[in-house]
Amino acid sequence: MSNSHAFLNDARPTHQLMMLVCLALIPGAAAQIHFLGWGILINLFICAGTAILAEMLILKLRNKPPLETVKDNSALLTGLLIGLAIPPLLPWWMSMVGVGFAIIIAKQIYGGLGFNPFNPAMVGYVLLLISFPVEMTAWLPSPDLATAAPNIIESIQIIFFGQTSSGANITDYQKLADGFTMATPLDHSKTAFSLGNMTSEIFQNNQFLKGTGHWFWINLGYLVGGIYLLISRIIHWHIPVSFLLSIATCSTLLFLIDGQNYLPASFHLFAGATMLGAFFIATDPVTASTTFKGRIIYAVLIGVFVVVIRTFGGYPDAIAFAVLLLNIATPTIDHYTKPKVYGEKIEVKVYD
Amino acid sequence: MNQLVSKSIATDAQYRIKGGIHPQEYKSLSNQQPIASIQEPPFYILPFSDLNKGSTTTNLEIAQPVEQGQILINSELANLSSVVHSPCDGVIADISEFDLGHPSGLEQPAIKIQAMPKSELERSAHADSLTDQIDYQSLTNEQLIKSVHQAGIVGLGGAGFPTHIKLSAPKDSIHTLIVNAMECEPYITCDDRLLREHPQSVLKGALIAAKTVSANRILFGIEDNKPEAIAALKTAIENYFDELTSTQESLEIKIIIAKTKYPSGGEKQIIELLTGQQVPKGQLPSSLGILVQNVATLEALNKAINQRQVMTKRLVTITGNLVGKPGNYWIPFGTPVSHIAEQLEVNLEQLACFIFGGPLMGTRHSNLEIPTKKSTNCIIFDSAYKTLEYPAKHQECIRCGECELACPMNLVPQQLYWFAKSQQWEALEEQQLFSCIDCAACSYVCPSEIPLVSYYQFAKSEIKDIKNKQIKSDLAKARFDNREKRLARIKAEREEKRRKAAEARQLAAANKTNDPDGKKSAIEAALQRVKAKKENKP
Repeated sequence: MSNSHAFLNDARPTHQLMMLVCLALIPGAAAQIHFLGWGILINLFICAGTAILAEMLILKLRNKPPLETVKDNSALLTGLLIGLAIPPLLPWWMSMVGVGFAIIIAKQIYGGLGFNPFNPAMVGYVLLLISFPVEMTAWLPSPDLATAAPNIIESIQIIFFGQTSSGANITDYQKLADGFTMATPLDHSKTAFSLGNMTSEIFQNNQFLKGTGHWFWINLGYLVGGIYLLISRIIHWHIPVSFLLSIATCSTLLFLIDGQNYLPASFHLFAGATMLGAFFIATDPVTASTTFKGRIIYAVLIGVFVVVIRTFGGYPDAIAFAVLLLNIATPTIDHYTKPKVYGEKIEVKVYD
Repeated sequence: MNQLVSKSIATDAQYRIKGGIHPQEYKSLSNQQPIASIQEPPFYILPFSDLNKGSTTTNLEIAQPVEQGQILINSELANLSSVVHSPCDGVIADISEFDLGHPSGLEQPAIKIQAMPKSELERSAHADSLTDQIDYQSLTNEQLIKSVHQAGIVGLGGAGFPTHIKLSAPKDSIHTLIVNAMECEPYITCDDRLLREHPQSVLKGALIAAKTVSANRILFGIEDNKPEAIAALKTAIENYFDELTSTQESLEIKIIIAKTKYPSGGEKQIIELLTGQQVPKGQLPSSLGILVQNVATLEALNKAINQRQVMTKRLVTITGNLVGKPGNYWIPFGTPVSHIAEQLEVNLEQLACFIFGGPLMGTRHSNLEIPTKKSTNCIIFDSAYKTLEYPAKHQECIRCGECELACPMNLVPQQLYWFAKSQQWEALEEQQLFSCIDCAACSYVCPSEIPLVSYYQFAKSEIKDIKNKQIKSDLAKARFDNREKRLARIKAEREEKRRKAAEARQLAAANKTNDPDGKKSAIEAALQRVKAKKENKP
């Protein structure tokens, strides 16, 4: 018997790649847990568990080996990304709805890993954001500003039962010492702008600085994880670098036009989910453009959309919408960015 | 002293190729030992043609005695096939179909020869010419090409393309001969050893090839992982320049050293590395005035012209961790693998399959009775290859793009895979499937361990099949159309005839109504005759 292809392979296998991406989330996730409380950790468990169970259930229905396939760790990664994107004390069933939708509808119905046209985590997140806008924007303030931060038991009680045994619910924990309710920096600045505040006024507000400084550290954590992914060649520079440069350029342009009505680039880069998006979300290879030239276009356009939606749109953060919009455009981008094959540039026309 | 010597003979490559990979080399397993021979096998199995193209003829009979070097299978000079010679003295034991290692598992026609060594005295006259020394300079190009054809020389780099076809390029169309000594695939070291031990032979072969195609430049392309071979070749070239008399016209000869990277030894890749040019899509290197030959081919060419030795054996790297005596050996074509395994103490108990060729472009086999062919440059017996079929289940493509980075042809392998899997033949051609050189760099870097090249090979053969069918059906359609036209024409002709006949009848009928029994016209005619007679009379 013979086989026409000797087949030598020496690549890091897919399941290992996915696991390394999950591990690279640790610095950012740790910062997020540190600043936003135990709810994040509980959400991560709920989301990861739901993702794996949902994936196995559908694989079983599709007559695929559930255990073997789920070991590729792609469902785990989707679960973790949703867990990190949602507010810390989101009711458990909402998390499950989001993750279940991401895995079952956005991924498995299209054929599972490799076949989904849309980033499953972002589909799940957007579903939650437009279905439960109030709960999905109920973030907690930094612990040093809050009157009280829920401990791990209280977090579990709020997530699963809506209130702690002493009767406190999420709004009690959202209140700051002086009654100032704190959302994310992007949320806050959006509200402030709508109230007629200037950029300089927003930044002069001591509460704002104190209440949003921790987002810088969270973004820094994801940046560290992302740099690890780049150095170990798990992802390539094209998407994160083009994406961040695009955000910086667009926001700087707006800031130069009107420094009092738009936010500076430094704020855009380290607020919201910018770094998580740059290194962990936009880089999802399955739904990104397939050619490297295409990936640069893809990432630049995501950056443009992020700034546009953040600045002019109705939602405070925009990574999910921008990524999904560009997922739609991926086949078109691929079509127009096919690389020139060896010998093609100088193709001689025999017949004129 | 020729002034060219003062110029540096060896330089680093100035150009680069896209993509490529750096697999572990395993070359020291086999390149430390000098070239050796193995005991001759008891029998040989010789395929009719390595290429299975063109017409080959034989009038051999079973039990017929044959001599070493005797032509067994002849081929036409113009055909894409090569002459096959007997590697031994012996008798034809069988002419039938054998497993020759074709991936389809189909058996192919071959000749089995039972070896019967003769004493030197019994050898007939044609073997004597082996020691004749002739000066190739005195031969015409046609004579050289004919000798190459008669010696059965094919490209020994792996593709097995008949060398006389490549050398028959139109006059003055070639200016550069590129000698491919890259040997970029892991494990293989036969070209390395050949250059270390017989650099003059290779150089002489290159000079003959350059003369045949009237090239005025010879470029040796070699990877920097073979310093000993580079040094040996450099010395040989220096000696050649030293021995040149001032009246002789000298060629430009250079060694160009490339950074080790797979697949720099691909024909298109070595051309780009050495000259910075890309072979235009769908064309041959000759369109750039370039001819590429492998070092082993040139060594065989030298033997064929300068020593009149026909090609019945080649240098083969026998390597892998299961080989007791790895190294490079002169192995006659048609030697069964089992014989090699026995001679070189291969641990067969741990052997699941062996590889013909390198670990990237080679083929996997499990039947030890298949013979070596002209294109077999390496056999790997290694415990790393645990099954004949590679992992049956692979993960799905996640479009990571590693394959695109590795592809030396600048294709998008993942897209090819996508379309090959869904059998979208037109999309595949749009994605330039046929530019793929099967180098397998993409499969090497795939994290989902997809045997991508298998998919491409399948798609290529399917598309070729469809095209052949299309040609056939086009022919059939043309034939049908012609038949329809012919029938229509015949019908029209018949109609025309019938119409004319009918007209004639109608006319006759019309005449009849005016003159029911023809009396009137008879009278008229008679009157005319009488009138004429009267007029004629004086």
